[in-house]
Amino acid sequence: MSLSVSKGGRRKAGLGRRITMTLQRDWQLWILLLPALAFFIVFCYFPMYGVQIAFRDYKAAFGITGSKWVGLKFFEKFFSSYYCGRMFANTFLLNLYGLVFGFPIPILLAIMLNQLKWNRFKGFAQTAIYVPHFISTVVLAGMIYLFFSPTNGIVNHLLVAAGGKSIYFIMEPGWFRPLFIGSEIWQNAGWNTILYIATLTSIDPQLYEAATIDGATRWGKIKHIDIPHLIPIAVMMLILNCGSLLSSNTDKALLLQTSGNMAKSDILGVYVYSVGIAATKAQYSYASAIGLCLNVINFVIIMLVNAISRRMSDISLF
Amino acid sequence: MTVRAEKKHGTRIRETGADRVFNAVNLIFWILVLFIVLYPLWLILIASVSDPDAVLQAKVLIWPVDFSLMGYEAVFQYAELWGSYANSVFYTVVGSALSVIVSIAAAYALSRRFAGKKLVNLLITFTMFFSGGLIPIFLNVRDLGLYNMRDIMILMNLVSVWNLMVARTYIQTSIPNELYEAAVMDGADHFTYFFRCVLPLSGTIIAVLSVYYGVARWNDYFTGLVMLRDRKLYPLQLVLREILASLTSTGSSDTFFAAYADNLGGLQEALRKAEVAKYCCIVVSTVPAVLLYVFMQKYFVKGVMIGSLKG
Repeated sequence: MSLSVSKGGRRKAGLGRRITMTLQRDWQLWILLLPALAFFIVFCYFPMYGVQIAFRDYKAAFGITGSKWVGLKFFEKFFSSYYCGRMFANTFLLNLYGLVFGFPIPILLAIMLNQLKWNRFKGFAQTAIYVPHFISTVVLAGMIYLFFSPTNGIVNHLLVAAGGKSIYFIMEPGWFRPLFIGSEIWQNAGWNTILYIATLTSIDPQLYEAATIDGATRWGKIKHIDIPHLIPIAVMMLILNCGSLLSSNTDKALLLQTSGNMAKSDILGVYVYSVGIAATKAQYSYASAIGLCLNVINFVIIMLVNAISRRMSDISLF
Repeated sequence: MTVRAEKKHGTRIRETGADRVFNAVNLIFWILVLFIVLYPLWLILIASVSDPDAVLQAKVLIWPVDFSLMGYEAVFQYAELWGSYANSVFYTVVGSALSVIVSIAAAYALSRRFAGKKLVNLLITFTMFFSGGLIPIFLNVRDLGLYNMRDIMILMNLVSVWNLMVARTYIQTSIPNELYEAAVMDGADHFTYFFRCVLPLSGTIIAVLSVYYGVARWNDYFTGLVMLRDRKLYPLQLVLREILASLTSTGSSDTFFAAYADNLGGLQEALRKAEVAKYCCIVVSTVPAVLLYVFMQKYFVKGVMIGSLKG
């Protein structure tokens, strides 16, 4: 009786009292949380509030909230601009090809690494495939410039020695995607095995022992033990990757974009940077509008893919 | 002797022919993979200690040709490179230390139960999927008065949601809840428990976070590109960009090398040495990140795996 009364009494307690109660009990947790929370509010949520300049004609003198509303003017300007379609296609295709070629390789590497018998060699291989991940984007771009140089790059020397013709790789639109995606795979495929290797090492060894006794070959174990265990995590990674089909590795594209390969390297992220930051007369509102478009589309895609995946396979991020 | 031999044969099921074929294929596969991964790195190392003419003619393929250190001697002359090197060391060391402290504290808080946790979690994970975008972020920094300041190189990307989640999962799964209950019985509050129990048990995850944050900061050039105007504040990667990615908007890298012609035996000689110096720049800028990884590697693989599972 008294219990239910006190329960009822607590339920009546307003939000204000609940807050004071949690603060009394857990204020130390909130203090530990405070610096991180402050960072997210100031550097992530302030800009989200500031994104309204996409709907205003931003003038520095009036500030974010003082500039004049113009509605969808800048969105219309962007969608009716000449290169809009090309940029969407370039961005989407670059990411799509990157996903198609880059996604299966870490899974393959993890499975094959797991099957290596010689432990020392296995350890060495695992250490080695992580190393390229620690190289900076600038250095990676520099390596591409050096190795694929038309006059003194090693690739063209080998091409010529083999009887072929020298190619100016970095100026050819057709070579932009292979260079971009190939170097991406070289740099990160090894690193991206981590999750899959962690999943494989968590498989109960008894499963393998039982399979061995039943006469399963290594290939049979891969097919019937490894792959089924990897599918859930692989689907999750796929969902996550789908969320960035229109967001691109702007910093890398910026380094590999040249006057020659614009037809394929002209992507949305780089365009936002060049009209909003690099231009001598930066168009803040226009660039914000493009950025907002991209973020909304990406957000919608990831939510959609997540919902579909949850429906069809019970695997989802949240 | 005989016992050992018996054991060897007794416990092992002999591999079938199909398995032996598989192993051979796998070995060849890995030799190929390791060649693709390591050869470009090896190429940079040997080119950096070869003669410029040999490098230009692509004669350096397996071993250094006409061994010389003139590339490194030239690199030591590039005062601007070393200024930016010092900047990067500062940004990386101070920034990563701050990042690790803030992340571990928040990760501990999020591993406990308290009213309002759901809201905080939502607030934090949402930033993973949606952001204001480059321009609003830039204008926000400018309005805060942080544009073109050293501080922004520390504060930008201070906490990564992913790292925070990895740390939280690690604390949740590797530190038993009984320890917390026992500590509370003994009268510990959250501060005491965090500093006296959680931190001493979190060596692995601190190492992992240090590598993650440290390498990300060391390798980042985009923050500097957007947020800095003053060349004196440039991080290493931004100067490297001028040296290496010579076809981009900044124009030819020759202007950079020409500035040091007086100390390197004239313009022509300076540009000749620059061909090798580019490789040396890659080596001196990449070695810290790779060394950090190799030294921390022991904790690393273990910590990453614990943190990433159930993440």
